[in-house]
Amino acid sequence: MKPSPAMLALVPDAFGGRGGIAQYTRDFLGALADAGAMSTITVLPRHAPDLAAPPETIEQTLARPGRIVYSVVALRTALFRPIDVVFCGHLFMAPLAALIARLKGAKLIVQTHGVEAWPRPSWLQRAALESADLVLCVSRHTRAAVLSWAAVAPERLLVVPNTVRDTFTPGNGSTTRNALAVGSKRVLLTVGRMDSGQRYKGQDRVIAAIPYIVGQGHDVEYLVAGEGDDRARLEALARDVGVRERVRFLGAPEFRVLNELYRAADLFVMPSTGEGFGIAFLEAMTSGTPALGLDVAGTRDALADGELGSLVSEAELPVAIARLLAKPKPDPVELAAATRARFGREMFAACVRNVLNRLMEVDGGVRNPLSSVQRPAQTVGRKSLAEKSQVL
Amino acid sequence: MCGINGIVAYLSSSKAPEETELLVTRDAMRARGPDGFGAWWSMDRRCGLGHRRLSIIDLSDRASQPMTTEDGRFIVVFNGEIYNYPQLRAELETDGARFRTTSDTEALLHLYARHGADMVHRLRGMFAFAIWDEVRQGLFLARDPYGIKPLYTANDGWTFRFASQVKALLAGGHVSRDPEPAGVVGFHLFGSVPEPFTLYRDVRALPAGHTQWVDVAGPREPKPFANLAEVLAKGAAHPTSAAELPERVRAGMLNSVRAHLLADVEVGVFLSAGVDSGALLGLMRDAEQREIRAITLAFEEFRGTSEDEAPLAARVCEQYGAQHIVRHLGEQEFFDDLPAIFEAMDQPSIDGVNAWFVSKAAKEAGLKVAISGLGGDELLGGYPSSLDLPRWRRWFGPFAGVPGLGRLARKFIGAVAPGFSRTRPKALGLLEHAGSWPGAYLLRRALFLPQELPGLMDAEIAREGLRRLKPLRRLAASLTPDPRSDSARVCVLESAHYMRNQLLRDTDWAGMAHSLEIRVPLVDFTLLAALAPAIPALTPGEGKAALAKAPTSPLPNETVIRGKTGFGVPTGAWMNKVADEDLGPTAHTPENKGLISRRWSATVFSSATRANDQLEVRAS
Repeated sequence: MKPSPAMLALVPDAFGGRGGIAQYTRDFLGALADAGAMSTITVLPRHAPDLAAPPETIEQTLARPGRIVYSVVALRTALFRPIDVVFCGHLFMAPLAALIARLKGAKLIVQTHGVEAWPRPSWLQRAALESADLVLCVSRHTRAAVLSWAAVAPERLLVVPNTVRDTFTPGNGSTTRNALAVGSKRVLLTVGRMDSGQRYKGQDRVIAAIPYIVGQGHDVEYLVAGEGDDRARLEALARDVGVRERVRFLGAPEFRVLNELYRAADLFVMPSTGEGFGIAFLEAMTSGTPALGLDVAGTRDALADGELGSLVSEAELPVAIARLLAKPKPDPVELAAATRARFGREMFAACVRNVLNRLMEVDGGVRNPLSSVQRPAQTVGRKSLAEKSQVL
Repeated sequence: MCGINGIVAYLSSSKAPEETELLVTRDAMRARGPDGFGAWWSMDRRCGLGHRRLSIIDLSDRASQPMTTEDGRFIVVFNGEIYNYPQLRAELETDGARFRTTSDTEALLHLYARHGADMVHRLRGMFAFAIWDEVRQGLFLARDPYGIKPLYTANDGWTFRFASQVKALLAGGHVSRDPEPAGVVGFHLFGSVPEPFTLYRDVRALPAGHTQWVDVAGPREPKPFANLAEVLAKGAAHPTSAAELPERVRAGMLNSVRAHLLADVEVGVFLSAGVDSGALLGLMRDAEQREIRAITLAFEEFRGTSEDEAPLAARVCEQYGAQHIVRHLGEQEFFDDLPAIFEAMDQPSIDGVNAWFVSKAAKEAGLKVAISGLGGDELLGGYPSSLDLPRWRRWFGPFAGVPGLGRLARKFIGAVAPGFSRTRPKALGLLEHAGSWPGAYLLRRALFLPQELPGLMDAEIAREGLRRLKPLRRLAASLTPDPRSDSARVCVLESAHYMRNQLLRDTDWAGMAHSLEIRVPLVDFTLLAALAPAIPALTPGEGKAALAKAPTSPLPNETVIRGKTGFGVPTGAWMNKVADEDLGPTAHTPENKGLISRRWSATVFSSATRANDQLEVRAS
């Protein structure tokens, strides 16, 4: 029996990393390890600010923040190990990943997330992505954006949506409400970075809407969780529109209190224009809190085209918040179950298995003659993978 | 002929398809199937199939679609005809299959149940179909080797959709209208949109001669099952002598015509004064078709002139004892119908107007099915390309070996003689392109050449479109494996590009707009295989001469002498008038002067962009 294939994962961060991309990478690699489809998974992160050990079946090397050092280490690692699959966790790393895949005759998976993949990248990144066997996208929007600049057979672009951890569950949130002393106020919540360079999360849109919401008779308090260098601007905005006392900046919440924070809110609102997917929506809804977002980009996917949460235009936002606050809160258990049914760990694991199966098929499938027009066939080492994968 | 569509919400995260979308898409194809309609949903409602029916074989309600196997496992929607259905049925019944209808659709279900995807190798006909497997929870799609029947797909990463028409997919309201630069560029290069591209990034044609599988892991890349070049290459490996050509043509054509007469309704014929349609009429008589009605399009402007096809067509009709229906067309009717023509045109094409009017005439005559001589020029070397391409290759081939020479010469002449460069762009491209088969073909068929595109549209769209389309590599890919003779290479290039992307597509939308099934016995994979050994020895004119003699009673000599006219219509002058209005002051610039196709293409493309402002890419 042939051994299972070995994977090298080039990622910005994974275990010990922060933010949505690190979380997604951990989820993906974890599901891959659980599937038992790879003999080894070696993860090379650029960053790992926190101490966190990967699962036993995954080996993670030391973080190498410098680009040159990272590239040298990646090439050296590739040189001395058998590698059948290269997983590239970010478009910026695709040229290096494509080079290693070519040198090793390995298959290449490139993962795309959000804003990094929406505009046309450099020709080198584009060429690297076009050489991939599979391109994974977290949402339909990101997939469409990649297709707008990449000459790739559309069937090679698969959507693997974000998933949500089992630790997020519904509850009454009274502990946090008491701790925050919000009393009987209606609580709006946003969880997301405040980045002055991007400013897409939409906290400013919520602040601007508060006077209208109060005018509709809602005694609201807006909790802004997250950190970033745009906080001062948002604070100034709250003062300017006369709602400073209704906006509370909480900083970056520790993970252990996040679930409680979601539970404490009456409405999770993140009118972002730049979500690749928006994992915070899933966390809120599996905590039992209804969610509201703009009908754009990856938010549509996270809210399941409006079936899980509410999707509105930017102009409708104030009215929509007021309307949702006036409605009784939906059954938290039902909302959490419906969210998990679409985006839970089981569904995610099934998606990852599909990715693996598709990767195996590239070997044995009969190619369209024009596939070679769109993407030159790589020949070195290609036939070994299907034979090696006995698991799926 | 029918209209088919379907939706599969394959990713678990996606919401179930809406019934409204399925029905709106289906009913946007009402003209394709006025005789009936149906819809089917899987148990979990994650897959829906729709069908509009034009009843041709087994006119009863029991043959309605979507059609299900007795055990409920397989469900099919089908557009087209399976001409070897009687043989298949006999084989299947011998194998234990029990038929509930006399429809060819049911044969597809039995074949798929027994042979899976390999079933396509047993089919002779024109077809586009989808079969849902309730057990495997997957969808199997297939399209005939020549691409006679259309099939378009759209995949957004969550949900897979398909339909017989691009416009029907868009009508459903859930498919993006974002432009596809390769489609836009392809239209300006060739005068039609080359498959698999469409004008829309998210809509693709399932390529001719391909199958596709869709399940919970999403749609797979289409797999080829038939290749024109391969058939001709195999034929060339066992060539026959020129002396055998007439008998091969006669036997092959008669066999094809006989197969194409399978129907439970009357089958008529489009008749011009040319060889192809006349020979088909004669062969229909040889195939013992009793009552035959032949439709000829004639023009008031040509009455009493040598351009008038009606008198010669009448002679052919008289010879074969067919009832002749002559339909006269005038300029006013052309202008009156133009809005409807653009509405029915599924994707922009600089041709198709003639197909519209002859289909209209057939419908007025009460026909549901008509035989067309389309394909004879591609198969038997009837186009000027049969002479030009080999000649150009010989003359300019030596220059093709010098890298950059052609481009340098073009730029030099463009600098010293800009007027010549603008008015004779193809002459300017000879050194650059004519030395290779793909280049020579591009030059022969091009509406505009690649270097002209930045002047017609946003330069970035032109650049990106060419990068994605890769026109020369695409043309070269169709010649793989090498068909091994000049005549076979021209046959493949004309069949796999001009005929597939333009003539057959125009025939489909123009016929379907009048609820008319147009059958093309000269576009038949079995016939191609039968003639393949003879094609390498084919010299220009010889094939058509053999076709003229194929009927027991050969065509009159005048028909052969007159050569190809087809269903020529005096639309050139009419199109010029329309283009003058559309182009305004730019109508008579040197670039536009005298080039009717180029002028007309601007009108056609603007009609498509009027329907979608996201396609506003042509320079003002």
